[in-house]
Amino acid sequence: MAVMQRESSAGYITRAPRSSGLADVLEILLDRGLVIDAFVRVSLVGIELLTVDLRVVVASVDTYLRFAEAVNRLDLRAVDESRSVPELFEKGSEEVAQSESKGAIEGGMDAIKEKVGLGGGGERDKEEEDKEESGSRGGRGRSNQ
Amino acid sequence: MTPGNAVCAYGVVAKRKLPSRLARRGIRLVGHGSVAALVARVSAEPQRATRRALLDHAEIVEDAYSWTTILPLRFGSVFPDEAAVRELLLEPNADLFEQLLERHAGVAELTLKASYDQEALLAELVASGPGLGRLRERYRSQPTLENGIALGEKTAALLEARRDRDADRILRTIEPLALDLRVGDVGLEGGVVNLAVLVERSRVGEVEDWLEALSRDLSPPIRFRLVGPLPPYSFIDVPVAVAA
Repeated sequence: MAVMQRESSAGYITRAPRSSGLADVLEILLDRGLVIDAFVRVSLVGIELLTVDLRVVVASVDTYLRFAEAVNRLDLRAVDESRSVPELFEKGSEEVAQSESKGAIEGGMDAIKEKVGLGGGGERDKEEEDKEESGSRGGRGRSNQ
Repeated sequence: MTPGNAVCAYGVVAKRKLPSRLARRGIRLVGHGSVAALVARVSAEPQRATRRALLDHAEIVEDAYSWTTILPLRFGSVFPDEAAVRELLLEPNADLFEQLLERHAGVAELTLKASYDQEALLAELVASGPGLGRLRERYRSQPTLENGIALGEKTAALLEARRDRDADRILRTIEPLALDLRVGDVGLEGGVVNLAVLVERSRVGEVEDWLEALSRDLSPPIRFRLVGPLPPYSFIDVPVAVAA
């Protein structure tokens, strides 16, 4: 995904022509857009729970990144005094964003999946039950017509 | 519900031939009158709200947006079958969708998140006047709870005033370019603004230039993340009637 980074003396702008990660799309996908009545959404499993947890994961990642940046900056400052703070900051955040955030989000998602029973093959039986349950719930609305 | 026929709907467009790149990824058009919904068969049911599914949704909607005006549906709009998309979504709302499609032709949503480099901001607040520096020195020489609270309280007040001032400057920069604005929750610590901005598609570059100029003017650093042009997710918040 093409991400253009512009820099200026006082701050910097990250410009993405399209959404390029969970943090970019989460809010607009879950809170915005045309809303259809709840009955249509019934076959989406665990959306409410996931919604809440996803936000927590994204928020935590952001916090981790800041910690990582701070720590990274301290290390670098000790090693190389000659680099300016803004330079270190940008470099640090870029590296961290590339190497850490993906893993952190995915790790978080795994934890969530485990929590709500969306994990690997061992969950098949439970999924089948969920499927039947949701099918009959959804069916009620339609069979009235 | 007929099992196995469930479809996920991604958005509403004016009815016309679907580009082959969308057709290739399993997208179909369900039409009614002059409008149509982009749908795809839901492979597993119930559908899982995974990270991949969220990103797929965004990708499909944004891909369609590069082709035509689209009214995105909220993530997870799953219908029992294609007939239900027609009956429940398109038929009752055809007029509304036509109006919205007309209104949003040639416009784009940009999301703008701005946040501080907290450390640089704190350093500047300490340097900007004698007040905070004095409290800091006092706390350093006598790290009592009382001195800590005094320092923290003053810091929080200065931070808040600074954030309000900077948020206002950013808003005033964006407002003349915006057809519409939604101010979202800043939420995370260090956030300055979280905006959805509706602009004419031809003016997206201008927004960037104005922000660039503003960021040169702002001290301490504010990080801007500008995403778009996106379809108008945040500006179609009109009630959609669904026959149940």
